[in-house]
Amino acid sequence: MNNLSNLPNSDGFFGEYGGKFVPETLMHALKELDETYSKLKNNPKFIEEIDQDLVQFVGRPSPLYFAKRLTNHYSGPQIWLKREDLNHTGAHKINNTVGQILLAKAMGKKRIIAETGAGQHGVATATVAARLGLECHIYMGAKDVERQSLNVYRIKLLGAEVHAVDSGTATLKDALNEAMRDWVTNIEDTYYIIGSVTGPHPYPMIVRDFNAIVGRELRKQSIEQFSQYPDAIIACVGGGSNAMGIFYPFLEESNVELIGVEAAGSGLMSGKHAAPLNDGEPGILHGAKSYLMQDENGQVIDTHSVSAGLDYPGVGPEHSNLKDSGRANYIAVDDKEVIDSFHLITKLEGIMPALETAHAFAALDHIAKNYTSNQHIVINVSGRGDKDINTVATMDGISLD
Amino acid sequence: MEYPLTRLDEKILSLKNASKKALVAYLVAGDPDLDSTLELMHGFVDAGVDILEVGVPFTDPIAEGPIIQAAHDRALKNNTSLTKIFKLVKKFREKNVDTPVILMGYINTFLANIKALEESYVSGSDAVLIVDIPGESDLKNIGIKNTNLASISLIAPTTSKDRISKICDNSSGFIYYVTLRGVTGSSNLNISEAESNINFIRSQTSLPVFAGFGIKTPDDASSLSKLSDGVVIGSSLVEMINNHSRKKEFKKIYNYLNEISKAISL
Repeated sequence: MNNLSNLPNSDGFFGEYGGKFVPETLMHALKELDETYSKLKNNPKFIEEIDQDLVQFVGRPSPLYFAKRLTNHYSGPQIWLKREDLNHTGAHKINNTVGQILLAKAMGKKRIIAETGAGQHGVATATVAARLGLECHIYMGAKDVERQSLNVYRIKLLGAEVHAVDSGTATLKDALNEAMRDWVTNIEDTYYIIGSVTGPHPYPMIVRDFNAIVGRELRKQSIEQFSQYPDAIIACVGGGSNAMGIFYPFLEESNVELIGVEAAGSGLMSGKHAAPLNDGEPGILHGAKSYLMQDENGQVIDTHSVSAGLDYPGVGPEHSNLKDSGRANYIAVDDKEVIDSFHLITKLEGIMPALETAHAFAALDHIAKNYTSNQHIVINVSGRGDKDINTVATMDGISLD
Repeated sequence: MEYPLTRLDEKILSLKNASKKALVAYLVAGDPDLDSTLELMHGFVDAGVDILEVGVPFTDPIAEGPIIQAAHDRALKNNTSLTKIFKLVKKFREKNVDTPVILMGYINTFLANIKALEESYVSGSDAVLIVDIPGESDLKNIGIKNTNLASISLIAPTTSKDRISKICDNSSGFIYYVTLRGVTGSSNLNISEAESNINFIRSQTSLPVFAGFGIKTPDDASSLSKLSDGVVIGSSLVEMINNHSRKKEFKKIYNYLNEISKAISL
């Protein structure tokens, strides 16, 4: 279990996962990005610029909040919430875009592209592009454009162009395909801000590093507020950026249990889900080797989740390595549990979580009983739920028109 | 020790001896169906095609433009799998023993069928062209072992000079030069850039260099064939196949290939 935090290696592998499986046209751009990042990440001026943006533009640090009524509800461990929902734009996604836009600037790129599922990464990208006055294009599955219409409008208000993607399953994976095609075509002047710890090296590393501020704050806050590191940290996992961000600074703390929660959709047994770590096989998609939902011929299979942000057949390669090494455990909760959990948290704590985040909360039903009242569990509240009101209403059979 | 020449080596040698430019044609297996693919493969050869590139459909073909993407989708709806494609090639070999067949696709479908892939040389396939692996990677290191298949690598306008020599060292058969920045079927062909890059590749390898991506008209083919050892035609064929697939009347496609074939031999 040693040295998990020294990964990836120079070829971009976390154990057997990761790598750079991309068309030749992209190889040079990935190398250029890797070199730029290696040079800048320890540069004091670059670090200072990011830190200042995180404080003054994003609103960091995000609080570590004691969820008193939720704790009473489960009458087990003390439950704490890492409030990434309070960040500017409403989710952890901004931590990454604030960093990557500075890389784009350093590389002299004038045009920004990104994929988005729930729209949070699209909003976070359009936000930082607007702030620097850069042209911005967001690719989004046509199905997601429909179910996340509020975020689509936010992205447009921020001056970015939204491209609805009709191909394939018209969700996040197809948005990624289309963003990659754009990048291959406009490689000279375009910077691709990938939104999760997925894609070819160096993206899984860069996105993790920019989100790791969450885990670093938690190290400090947990000592300040309950005088120890958490006994367990729970985060939802689609591509897995919020989970990687909060897990990474604790990889070498073997007493801290790390629990990722995938989307079981209509149930793991139904096959209609988005839980590759629970029910997938290693494969290669979007530039990296990782667990993948695929059939016996290596074709990627359709996923299902009530949450657009988790509706993705792959997962970041570092999570695959954490699973195989046993350092993190990955469970899955289904759509119904998620909606129930959304209502529970909203009523008990006055916090409306994103449906992605509600997966992490729903895990409490499965695991809270394993902990005692002197133990501390932290849930990463990766985003707020305003964007999901329409979906929740539909699930509840209520019309908002 | 001398190795026996493969079918691909022999074809390339005979083109060289005849000072002929190669015409490589791409189609997607199973679009509109596997029987048509077999018919088209023979028809292509009769129309002057030297090497066949058979596309293996994948759900997420990130290097393809909309025309070839749609063909992949159609082929997948017909449940076209790599194992069925191996059978198709075997059938093709019943009537044709000298036209090389290259399987072009994405790494995940090949890895899912490793065992069949390792036996595919026996059934008549000659090479693989895997779009989403780095050109310098050895097939053995990514899990494809014990195969006699040649590995065709792509070199793009953005490939750096030091990587070009690495890729050339690792290649067999021929080098596939991507003539543009973009996906298949794009229209931003850059002939002068292609010329200087192909010249540099030639300084690094004795393998022939073929040019592809974005070649549509006999004129495109003619000007690129002057700079290279051959051309690859893809999207325009796939589009024509789709336009004629309902009646399965493919004569127009063969006429088009005939024109291209003439244009590159001028």
